[in-house]
Amino acid sequence: MTIDEALSKLEAITKHLEEEGLPLEEAVSLFEEGIALAARIKTDLDQAKLKVRRVIEEAQGVFSLEDFDLA
Amino acid sequence: MAEDRVYSVTELNRVAREFLEEGLGPLWVKGEVSNLVSAPSGHLYFTLKDAESEVSAVRFKGRASLLPSVVLKDGLSVVAYGHLTVYEPRGRYQFVVSLLQGAGLGTAQLEFERLKEKLKGEGLFDAGRKRSLPPFPQRIGVVTSPSGAALRDILSVLERRWPLVEVYLFPSAVQGETAPLEIVEAIRSAATFNDKYAPIDVLIVGRGGGSLEDLAAFNDERVARAISACPIPIVSAVGHEIDFTIADFVADVRAPTPSAAAELAVPDSGEVLSLLRTLHRRLAHAIRSAFDRRRRLLETGLRGYIFRIPLRKAATASQGLDLRLDELHRSIVRALEARDRELLRLEDRLPLVDPRLPLRRGYCLTFTPGDPSPLRDPGRVSRGETIETRFLIGKILSRVEEVSRT
Repeated sequence: MTIDEALSKLEAITKHLEEEGLPLEEAVSLFEEGIALAARIKTDLDQAKLKVRRVIEEAQGVFSLEDFDLA
Repeated sequence: MAEDRVYSVTELNRVAREFLEEGLGPLWVKGEVSNLVSAPSGHLYFTLKDAESEVSAVRFKGRASLLPSVVLKDGLSVVAYGHLTVYEPRGRYQFVVSLLQGAGLGTAQLEFERLKEKLKGEGLFDAGRKRSLPPFPQRIGVVTSPSGAALRDILSVLERRWPLVEVYLFPSAVQGETAPLEIVEAIRSAATFNDKYAPIDVLIVGRGGGSLEDLAAFNDERVARAISACPIPIVSAVGHEIDFTIADFVADVRAPTPSAAAELAVPDSGEVLSLLRTLHRRLAHAIRSAFDRRRRLLETGLRGYIFRIPLRKAATASQGLDLRLDELHRSIVRALEARDRELLRLEDRLPLVDPRLPLRRGYCLTFTPGDPSPLRDPGRVSRGETIETRFLIGKILSRVEEVSRT
């Protein structure tokens, strides 16, 4: 799941949980799922490190990649 | 200089030369080049003219390398820097050019306008052709020079805003004669990569600011057509705010600088984190409300049940029924308390700062009457004043006996 998919899922879960008349069991499991998703998104963002690759097209349509470091 | 002496022609020309050279320092002249002659010696002779006048000009060989980007030709509008002198053997005055540049509003500008009108006529700039950028790109391609400041700027913005994105650099010269074809080739390479290897969501094409000559590749028709034909949405990122290029008009999105292009291309992780905090809060609030609703439901249900038992009957109700009601009530309360504890545990996992969190851990907050924020400094109350100590489940009003600060 990409981060934007995770975000929209989290938004949907939140909206669902905000509906009145949900059975308590379901509310608790939605809540737990939401918290887990939020934690995952936060971890992804916190741990992300920009990856840069230089693309070399060796022949038409044949690519090799090398890590690109600015420093 | 009024004197009776008679000058020789040679003397006259020499005096005139010294007079001109000393009387008039170096200066700028604007004009159009004509009668250009490249002498075997390497010197360039030409005439600079405008609508009404002309002047002979020469650019000596040793100076010709000063500005290699300008290729002199008849009809070119230039701004020349140099000084006036007299060519003594002929008694002609001439302008000796030491520095020369395209006049900006000369042929390059004319060519720019011509190409702009042509491509506009073909509909290449139409708003309907512009594709929007995906809000959460996973891969970004960059067509620029690997050693340029533009790339540094782009990468530092991406790193700060959205380090989740993968960057693919398609290297290309961005100025000089080979630049247009290299840029066209890099864009084509990115399109092939997108097709065969991994989808690229946005392509940034650009370079830092520069003179009109420096930006020439981005005013090249081949580059414009490559941008317009590219299947990947393109953000043009050429130069600083004031430089508009043909590439800017053709691109799906025009950014005024390379940094701005990077900002347009990715979301801001700061905004996403704040959305995340909002969703967190809503989740916590919703689950709390769900428990509260359930509790109220059970409580009114219970009361209703008791009320339905006629008083008379209730008075004489068997001990067994009393016990069963009591048991029912206690088990409901136990269940609610268990839920509450579970809820508290779940909420503890939230990295949110809940003002009641310290209270749950057993700390108290102290308030003075009329002040909504907690008291941080005991020095702000004095003996005899009333203070309120808040706990998670209640409060204590007390009067101050003694104040001391650590």
